[in-house]
Amino acid sequence: MNKKTACTAALLASVLVVSGRSWGDEGLFGYVKGAETLPKGAADFEQWFTWRGDKGTGSYNALDTKTEVDYGITDRLSVSGAFFGLGIDTQDIMFDAYIPKDEKYTWKPAGVEAALKYNYLSPAKDDIGLSQYASLTYFWQDVHSGQNKSVYSFETILIAQKYYLDGQLVAAGNLGLEATSAKRASIDGLPPDFEWPTHPEMEIELTAAAGLTYRFAPSWFIGAEIFYQTEHETEVGQERWSVQAGPTLHYGGKRWWATLTWLPQLQGGGLDYEGQTDTDLHLIEKTKQEVRFKFGFNF
Amino acid sequence: MRPIPALIMVPAAIFAPAAYAAEYLTVSQAQQALFPEADRFPEAAVELSKEQRKAIEKKSGVRQRWEKQAVWRAEKGGELLGWFIVDEVVGKHEFITYAAGLTPDGKVQGIEILVYRETYGYQIRNPDWRRKFAGKTLDDAFKLDEDIPNISGATLSCRNVTNGVKRLLALQQVVLRHGP
Repeated sequence: MNKKTACTAALLASVLVVSGRSWGDEGLFGYVKGAETLPKGAADFEQWFTWRGDKGTGSYNALDTKTEVDYGITDRLSVSGAFFGLGIDTQDIMFDAYIPKDEKYTWKPAGVEAALKYNYLSPAKDDIGLSQYASLTYFWQDVHSGQNKSVYSFETILIAQKYYLDGQLVAAGNLGLEATSAKRASIDGLPPDFEWPTHPEMEIELTAAAGLTYRFAPSWFIGAEIFYQTEHETEVGQERWSVQAGPTLHYGGKRWWATLTWLPQLQGGGLDYEGQTDTDLHLIEKTKQEVRFKFGFNF
Repeated sequence: MRPIPALIMVPAAIFAPAAYAAEYLTVSQAQQALFPEADRFPEAAVELSKEQRKAIEKKSGVRQRWEKQAVWRAEKGGELLGWFIVDEVVGKHEFITYAAGLTPDGKVQGIEILVYRETYGYQIRNPDWRRKFAGKTLDDAFKLDEDIPNISGATLSCRNVTNGVKRLLALQQVVLRHGP
């Protein structure tokens, strides 16, 4: 390591030590959003890793990364920018219009996002906290197949949060609506009978999520969350639906926080692939297993 | 000795325990701050019955979490100047320890923050914020952004300290008026 790199790293370390602050927008849950926003002038860095695996056939492993920076414009309004990445390893899976061939790469840039979050009611001051989240997202990699695909999305989520037992027990609920326009890039050399449409498609996705977490020791929360998704697409109607639920563990320190959530798919439906044996799950776009680890710190 | 690689220092700096002075005042210092004229502080800790805890909750609208409450009499020449009570309330991550001075006629003399482990919201120690509690009685609203200002990023801490002081006024009415 040269002297310049060492000095830069040491300077960054010093800045982080000196400026450590606590969280207005701490990720208590892995998937469920909380209603709190950052205080004015505060900034937050978050890094997410989500592993998705097991489609009940072949071999499928995907790792989504999300690197996000939030900033509090006012005490009620925060903005964020995020950068997505994707790593994938899929073998012996071919789903018409979804997974055209084996793919393997460690990591590629996959998309970007800009978002706003506005707090209408504070969970600590009002009877219930209420916020709205809105985002614009552009992906150039398809997170299901790992192939090139242009995906533009607008999403809005209504977020409710309630403190119980003076804040020792936290409940949150989300209702979301996402509109997506997507277009696959053409792929040469696919089998003649393989379906790989390259015309634009429109999708509407509805989500509902809820979580409950309890502070069982100073700084430590344990809880559970449930996540429902349904997606409707122009050509096939309801393309899929799924219910995922599982435990979540959160640590919130003075200067950083981390959350680990295991969210397996419990029920699902919609389209399935030929020969699918787990008929009570949706496994074309979703997987049987999902684990998310994320951490954040303010600066 | 080999130098520590600088890149290791970055995550170490992020995740290392913070070296913040969390304990601001000792009990003795807080006693002197709230009752500077007092010449002695005999202990008068109270153990609350289930009925008393219910009565406190009914009067204040706030749950009395603790069965035991650390209380001292503030005296000058044997005369009661007021009550000094140490309490803990839930912060975002850990408990906040604070002390309240209450006058014998049921008013807040003042509050002092003893231990605050949340990094953000340190303005909770500012005299301007703490002064808002002086003179309050159980008849006051104790409502954030009404009679007590909120501190951005520390709303839960502010709310719980505010509720805590109201609860201590109720405790005084239920338990300390006639004893202990």
